Amino acid sequence: MNAAPFQVKSRIVNDVAVIYPKGYLNNLSGEGLVSECGRYIETGIKKIIVNFSETDLINSIGISLLLHVMEELQTTGGTLCFTDMDKVQLGIFDMLGLTKYFRFFQDEKGALQFLGGSAE
Amino acid sequence: MPLYGIPAKDYLDREDELAYLKRLASLRRDTLADNVLLIGPRGIGKTEFLKQLYRSLFWDSKDVVPFYYSFKTAALKSTTFARDYFARFVKQYVAFVKKEPLHVNNMSMPLPRLIPLISTLGLDWLIDCIDDFQQNTDQGDLYGQILSAISTPVNAAVRGGRPVLVMLDDFTASEELHETKRGDAPGLTSLFEESMKNSLCPHIITGSPSAKLEAIFSDPALHKGTERMRLYPLPEDTAYALFSSLLAKMKISFDREAALDIIRRVKGSPLYIRNMARAAWKMKKNNLDKKDFSECYSFEIIDGETAFYWSSVFSESLRDKGIRRTILELLMHRIARGETGDQERLSKVLGVREPRLSEALDALELNDFGGSDDPLLKDFVQSLYFREVEGKTGAEIRKLIEAKYDVPADSSVFEMVIPMSDQAELVAARAVDQIGKNINLEPELMNYLQLALVESCINAMEHSGSYEKKIYLKFTTTPQRLEIAIESPGRHFTLDSLKESPTEEKMTAGQKRGWGFTLMRKIMDEVRVERISDRTRVTLIKNIKRNEVLK
Repeated sequence: MNAAPFQVKSRIVNDVAVIYPKGYLNNLSGEGLVSECGRYIETGIKKIIVNFSETDLINSIGISLLLHVMEELQTTGGTLCFTDMDKVQLGIFDMLGLTKYFRFFQDEKGALQFLGGSAE
Repeated sequence: MPLYGIPAKDYLDREDELAYLKRLASLRRDTLADNVLLIGPRGIGKTEFLKQLYRSLFWDSKDVVPFYYSFKTAALKSTTFARDYFARFVKQYVAFVKKEPLHVNNMSMPLPRLIPLISTLGLDWLIDCIDDFQQNTDQGDLYGQILSAISTPVNAAVRGGRPVLVMLDDFTASEELHETKRGDAPGLTSLFEESMKNSLCPHIITGSPSAKLEAIFSDPALHKGTERMRLYPLPEDTAYALFSSLLAKMKISFDREAALDIIRRVKGSPLYIRNMARAAWKMKKNNLDKKDFSECYSFEIIDGETAFYWSSVFSESLRDKGIRRTILELLMHRIARGETGDQERLSKVLGVREPRLSEALDALELNDFGGSDDPLLKDFVQSLYFREVEGKTGAEIRKLIEAKYDVPADSSVFEMVIPMSDQAELVAARAVDQIGKNINLEPELMNYLQLALVESCINAMEHSGSYEKKIYLKFTTTPQRLEIAIESPGRHFTLDSLKESPTEEKMTAGQKRGWGFTLMRKIMDEVRVERISDRTRVTLIKNIKRNEVLK
């Protein structure tokens, strides 16, 4: 684990928002992620992919904030997908019994195909 | 009793100091030496040192008369003290001249019954001294009586033609000399001044605590003409020789390395070394290994001679029971932090008002408890704190003390302190990374361990509420096990108080937080939460399997 300063970038692929959290996902940075997602949800986006390829570590507060994003998205009938998680990140979700509440994909392409957006 | 003590052949490593003090009378006469203030921490062997000197002069010297007086056992009502001091001097003088130890210790024999013997020895001037003293007593002249007693060694030196070496032990207690009740006659100690000035009568003065003794001698009248001699702990080889000879006498065999561990732990203190040997005997050990030593040590701290010794010192020094608890809390704070902090901050941290805190701090300084680096004293204080403040049982305390030193031989221990600030937990996580690499841990496991530690640190930051924004970490690794202790000051918490709701509940509830301990328990083999004085300690334990180590 080599936690870099947190940054969040995003892009729109058709009607899907793809979010790229980078670094250590904790309370402070998690708020940034939530607000980035919220920004898209407010504009009517109902499909969000969080790509964890550049995320070093997710702590329990980060996880709870991801649950908030999911809850917010569910109220609009939207879908949240997670991609590019490493073995340990997946393991953490599994330990907490959360795998059944999220959709996990090996990569962004698979998630985009699932959501009906075209993979670039 | 000055003639009782360790046999001279078993008394080690103070030869140079003894040789100097044996010559003190002649050096003083030639103005080459002063009175000697013998300084050293409690338990370093100041009393035993004086006894060795006394015995050596008693048997080997014809020219210098030794006189030993301990204020520890003395009655401190001034008239009683004067009679006692005088009688002991006369008896020790007679015993020396006749080389008859019986008189040294025979305090029940009235002085008049010694007069025929004194006359036979040709010490008629001593009979005059007895008469003079009796006259002062009969006249009810308090100061005359005390001065007469204190000046008897000088009179004896002048009239008897032989210098007298006066050894005053536990001299700090002389501050409590009084007429009818404590504190009604301050300054009686200064009556020794005249006697100390006489070159025929050098004084060696000692006592504890050193700070109090030094304070008495800060009076310029006493300070002038007094040199300091410091007694140091025994070096390791001498301490080992002492320990092994004591155990050999009790027919107890032992593991050398384990014995050396204990000697290092007690930092060469002769008192503790003797107490440890006695503890082994009391516990009926006949072949001491590391575990036996550990048991003897915890016995000593909780129930043994060392506990008794320090209990007496605490009771004696801290008579006010109210302040005792504050002092225990203060000491525990210092032991835990290794720092003193300013008074205002301490007051907040300990929840003690400043006037009371100030009183406690003064008592600590005066009694030499504050800055002590004596590990046994620290363990004793902890044990007292556990018992008196936290209500722990002897068995619980013993377990805690034994666990403190239970470090496997093939282990590595790292300690660090991190601030309670944003992302400080990542610094701790980096430490785990390196520690894991040191023992070739598989990277995936290492990442999980890092997360468990991160969660524990976050938990400490969120629950502490302490003014002291620090987290104390201790990593202990062996090839088979990693143990991380995370201690945080402030508000205590338990696993029960941190009960985390099930995932299903969290998914429907507004509150999504509270996964930390679930994660820690899933990742680690054992998670313990304990209250250790004013800190909460979370211990994370991982037993490392063979497949979790890189080939």
